[in-house]
Amino acid sequence: MSTTYVTAAGAPTSESADVEWSEKRYLIVDDFVGIRQLLRESLRNIGARHIDQASSGGEAMTLLLRTHYDVVLCDFNLGEGKNGQQVLEEARVRNLMIPSSVWLMVSAEKSVESVMGAAEHQPDAYIIKPITEGVLLTRLNRVWHKKQVFREIDAAYIEKDYLRAARLCDAQVAQHKVHEIDLMRMKATLLLKAGEPDKARAVYERLLEEREFNWARTGLGRIRMANGDHEAARQMFQGVIAENRFYIDAYDQLATSLTLLGRHDDACGVLEKAAKLSPNAVQRQRSLGNTALRIGNIPLAEHAFRKCLAIGEYSINKTVDAFFGMARVCGQKNDIKEALRLLAAAQRDFPGELVKLRAKITEGLVYHESGDFRRARKSGDELEALLGKEKKRPQTALCIEMATLLFAVGVKDAPAELLCHVVRNNHDNPVLVEEVQAIFDKARLSEEGMAMIAEARREASEMMNKGVLLWKTGKLAEAVEWMREARVRLPDNMRILFNSAQMLINQMQLHGYDEALMIEANGVLMHVDELAAGQQRFAQLVEQLQMLIPGRAQTPEAVDAELEALRGAAPAEA
Amino acid sequence: MKNSISVLGGTLENLLDQARPETHSGPEYPQMAQMLYQTRRLSDNLMQLLALYKEVGKPTYPFEPNTVPVRELVQQVAGQARVLLESKGIVLEVQYPADLLWTFDEDLVIGVLAHAVNNAVRYTRDRIRLTIGERDGMLELTVADNGMGFPPSMLEAGTQVGQGVNFLTNSSGLGLFFASEVARMHRRRQLTGAIRLENAGPLGGGRFVLMLP
Repeated sequence: MSTTYVTAAGAPTSESADVEWSEKRYLIVDDFVGIRQLLRESLRNIGARHIDQASSGGEAMTLLLRTHYDVVLCDFNLGEGKNGQQVLEEARVRNLMIPSSVWLMVSAEKSVESVMGAAEHQPDAYIIKPITEGVLLTRLNRVWHKKQVFREIDAAYIEKDYLRAARLCDAQVAQHKVHEIDLMRMKATLLLKAGEPDKARAVYERLLEEREFNWARTGLGRIRMANGDHEAARQMFQGVIAENRFYIDAYDQLATSLTLLGRHDDACGVLEKAAKLSPNAVQRQRSLGNTALRIGNIPLAEHAFRKCLAIGEYSINKTVDAFFGMARVCGQKNDIKEALRLLAAAQRDFPGELVKLRAKITEGLVYHESGDFRRARKSGDELEALLGKEKKRPQTALCIEMATLLFAVGVKDAPAELLCHVVRNNHDNPVLVEEVQAIFDKARLSEEGMAMIAEARREASEMMNKGVLLWKTGKLAEAVEWMREARVRLPDNMRILFNSAQMLINQMQLHGYDEALMIEANGVLMHVDELAAGQQRFAQLVEQLQMLIPGRAQTPEAVDAELEALRGAAPAEA
Repeated sequence: MKNSISVLGGTLENLLDQARPETHSGPEYPQMAQMLYQTRRLSDNLMQLLALYKEVGKPTYPFEPNTVPVRELVQQVAGQARVLLESKGIVLEVQYPADLLWTFDEDLVIGVLAHAVNNAVRYTRDRIRLTIGERDGMLELTVADNGMGFPPSMLEAGTQVGQGVNFLTNSSGLGLFFASEVARMHRRRQLTGAIRLENAGPLGGGRFVLMLP
């Protein structure tokens, strides 16, 4: 064992790695002038010369818009207005930080809400006050080193090339033991995104043999849940919470599993607890509001949606859902005027056809639930008119919601057309087809519905089969052309989209790279990802597509790196 | 409160750092050094209380183990103690394997070690030794001094940690309780962390030991 022995004079100081910290631009954000001076002193002591200061989130945003900072030291509690997390989120979403810049979140104490609040947009590190130069420099160097290690992985992630990114994680572990846990955590996330839950599970299980990591245990629960084993998942999340009552992610997951088990009251209780522990997440308040609305707890729903609107005000995660949820609450309380005001506000703050449609649906629901069937019918007619004007259809869940409402208020043709659209685009999903049939049944249109469903399914499989037949008989160019038409006719049919992308890739594999085909295939795949993320076939096709990019394909070093990565991979992946 | 103590401690540290003992033979210098020591104690205790009991009776600390190079742990602890030790003319010796990595909650462990060093300032004559090494699959972190050793009451408190004694009634109780809680949070396979206090350490004085799995 190599041992260093040093006395005070020679006590190890944080060396500057390879980074010239004195040349960087710094921003200090703290509402307390004494702390700003101390932090500036610490930065000067590590050699910094360009230091700006802000005393509030708003002031910080102004400075961030003007200058690209290399390092931001931001306090979490900033008094009125945005907190540190919200400043970070907005800076990230508005691209005010370059990938190499470092965000250090400072707080007086490490508390649940300052650390666990946000799932996305995490800072690069958290530092507890008082900050000494040794700690500051050590953490800066570590973050910088980690960014180097993750640079290529992050790039592949952004390109959604999850399988390559996962292999890069393995390659990096071999060289950087110190980041092994973070790299393995990332790898598991990537494998889940690539639709490889079994491989992700193997990674989590290996990590759990070493130590009880909350996120690994929660990750296993998520995989169980995705496999439909909701009860086992529920128990795992419950176990994580029993061990660590402050691991917020486990609460959110537990609520989801309870919802899937049909235990809506329990789900609501869990979300309420989570929202108390960490109240500043817009998404959590929205889930709480929706769940409370569902079980008819109007005061709780109102509280959650109000909070959601209030925090959304300062957050980039501001969501139109909170307006719709609050409008429903007002409808339940028979305050139609306030509900309509909220719907108008939603359309003003979030322009777009989709929001217009959703506002009209909510308006209809509000009238319908308050018993004003005449006005509900009028909203239904207007919705029908909107649908006639707009050719593009929203996502499946929204189509079903619209159809249900339209039937309820007595409209017939428009909802039937919507449901046929849903079936055409999901012709091989028996659960969904059954759900659609149930909606027809409820509208007393069983027979007509059955015939329409059969016709829609026949049409979809005929389109698909003709394309596949052309492809299999070697008429690739014709197959590609046919699938283009199929995509126009069935824009959201996952099978058609996947096959279409596969044929475009095949075309390039046989006849060489073609930029137009590349853009087309990429567009098709990104549309798939929008419809349903985490598909195995998506990850595989993206990887094939990336390999076709000239220059990307296999330099000798890349081949070596890939081979090395494969050798270092877990046995489960062989 | 935390902000105020931070500013107080930071300002004192800057003042002491600028005023060297050799140029300042007046009585202010040792008094300032003593103030820094007391401020540090206050700040440590407050940090410990915040970590343990943010809401009454409810620990609310988000425990986050991560892989840390032992070298960087030593750098951070030594960095925090530097000005105080210099102002009191105390030498810090450190001993650790150069390339060892370990997994623990860095902020908590720095908190425990910084407090142990601060505590040793009170007992030592002029030397404190921080030793870190692997022992029977655990990471052993010790802070030893060359003073008279711990008084019997503290040694007793040390052995009773975790046996339901109310340490908050003892003057050194909070620090020990915090350290034992931090140790206890660390678990790996079947092993759990622990602390202990001993006299007759390697420098002849007292010795604080933190074991992490």
